Amino acid sequence: MSDLIRLESLSKSFRGRPAVTDLSLTIPKGEIFGLLGHNGAGKSTTFGMMLGHVRPDAGEAFICGHSVQKDRAGALRRVGAIFETPSFYDYLSGWQNLRFFVSLSGDVSDARFREVVELVGLTERIHDPVTHYSHGMRQRLALAQALLPDPEFILLDEPTEGLDPAGIHEMRAMIRKLRDEHGLTVMLSSHLLSEVEQLCDRVAILDGGRLVFSGAWRSGPPQWKLSLDDQAAAGDVLDRYIAECDGDVVILREGIDIADLVSDLVHAGVRVRGVELLRATLEDFYLGRTRP
Amino acid sequence: MTSEEITLFRKQLGGELRKLFARKRTYIGFGAFLALEVVVLFLLRLPKAKAAIRHLIDGAGYDPGDYFSGLTLGLMIMSWTVFLLGALYLALVGGDVVSKEVEDGTMRMMLCRPISRGRILLLKAVACAVYSVALTFFITVTALLAGFLYGGFGGLFAFYPAEHVFALYDFWPGLWRYLLAIPLLGLSLFTVSCIAFLFSCMKMKPAAATIITLSVLFLDSVVRNIPFFTSYQGWFFTARMATWIHVFDYAIPWEKMVEDYVLLGAMNITLLVIGWMIFEQRDFKS
Repeated sequence: MSDLIRLESLSKSFRGRPAVTDLSLTIPKGEIFGLLGHNGAGKSTTFGMMLGHVRPDAGEAFICGHSVQKDRAGALRRVGAIFETPSFYDYLSGWQNLRFFVSLSGDVSDARFREVVELVGLTERIHDPVTHYSHGMRQRLALAQALLPDPEFILLDEPTEGLDPAGIHEMRAMIRKLRDEHGLTVMLSSHLLSEVEQLCDRVAILDGGRLVFSGAWRSGPPQWKLSLDDQAAAGDVLDRYIAECDGDVVILREGIDIADLVSDLVHAGVRVRGVELLRATLEDFYLGRTRP
Repeated sequence: MTSEEITLFRKQLGGELRKLFARKRTYIGFGAFLALEVVVLFLLRLPKAKAAIRHLIDGAGYDPGDYFSGLTLGLMIMSWTVFLLGALYLALVGGDVVSKEVEDGTMRMMLCRPISRGRILLLKAVACAVYSVALTFFITVTALLAGFLYGGFGGLFAFYPAEHVFALYDFWPGLWRYLLAIPLLGLSLFTVSCIAFLFSCMKMKPAAATIITLSVLFLDSVVRNIPFFTSYQGWFFTARMATWIHVFDYAIPWEKMVEDYVLLGAMNITLLVIGWMIFEQRDFKS
């Protein structure tokens, strides 16, 4: 897959205090990518530099091959963004807000308007003043304004912030749908690691403005927890199948199926009480890579 | 610029104006001007005030019955209203125009679009200009209507001692001068918007931008009226802004007025450009 996003050595300081230091990243087309970090780790500054809101002290951000710093209009032509607290003109209707924001991107047909409004489920209330919208509705309106110019890349800063569980579920389903059905590339930041875990295969972790990890956080072979009656009797079988062993947690040799191991253990007269796939959580992964 | 670009610019400007004119505050402001005009009219109807104006006209050798009219009252209502509320209101609107959007977070939403910061500011500056003109038109026309309602038709008596203007005109020449004053006053008032716009582009709260603008105008006005600075009149904003009054001189000093408006125009452009340069350098973060 080609890289849609490329960040090259981005650095930014505010009043001498580094916010982001030498950040380089790539995001391939069609991926849902998570940007993680504690408060003040540099996530918002990174997003700001990607959208041209913040001027980097050094480095450059490229979106669809266009430099944000040198050709902002070209870079943002197919980009949509949502912030944690979407801001609108409360005294205007949702429709009028969409019309205004989209006029800054170019022309969009009425049919496209209706299509997007329907997609985000705001058809019934789109002509109401935004001041009467709930937080969830505002978030959906924000998504509509981000989607209207038919973006290739969408940037979501804390998209589930303040949403109730149903809203979070809805937003997650929407993000997946945007990638799977519309082919969008998504970059998101969230403090809800369980959300990121469900959506993103690859993440970047910032700590104190520095990139401490970037890549597939689930990489590595699966780990299994075996509960056996007679560990000693199982020794020979395990030696044939297992690459690594740490107590009752094992990693199988490449190409070995867990069912074969269990079958051989049973034939060898070992009673297998339980087999459990140990799933690594993003939280453990994240906390293991950031400062306490 | 292609016709498509012009259409897009008009759409964007339409959106910017809708934002300005869809706010309740805009109409509350217009209502406040109307209320003030009614108050000024009431004050001018007080017997002693009326007698003083009639005395001035009489003293110039004219019949107060002919010149204490709707036109004269309209001019007085308009001048007082602009003096008392015009600058305040334009400073409020101009001070809000950028900084309120930054404060509310809508500026960040705008800046997510493939549009340059310069173009956003250009749209806002044009919207401010349209607003200044609309407000001036509203004040001057409603003042004139209020004057006609109470004073009826008659000649115009214009008296501005600070600008050495003292003139009397029959109805039609008077009306012509009054109408000519409207766009010139609008141009003068646009300077208030430009000063407020400059501060609005800086990193400060909208209220701060408004207060600083009013302080600048107040100081400028006070200092220029200190006798030591009489020979430096040309250096003051407010002195140039007051030039519209000379449209009521018997012999309109066009040369001086053109010079004043060219300088005001240059000053306004400079303020807008400085505002733009500051805005371009700013970082916008939550």
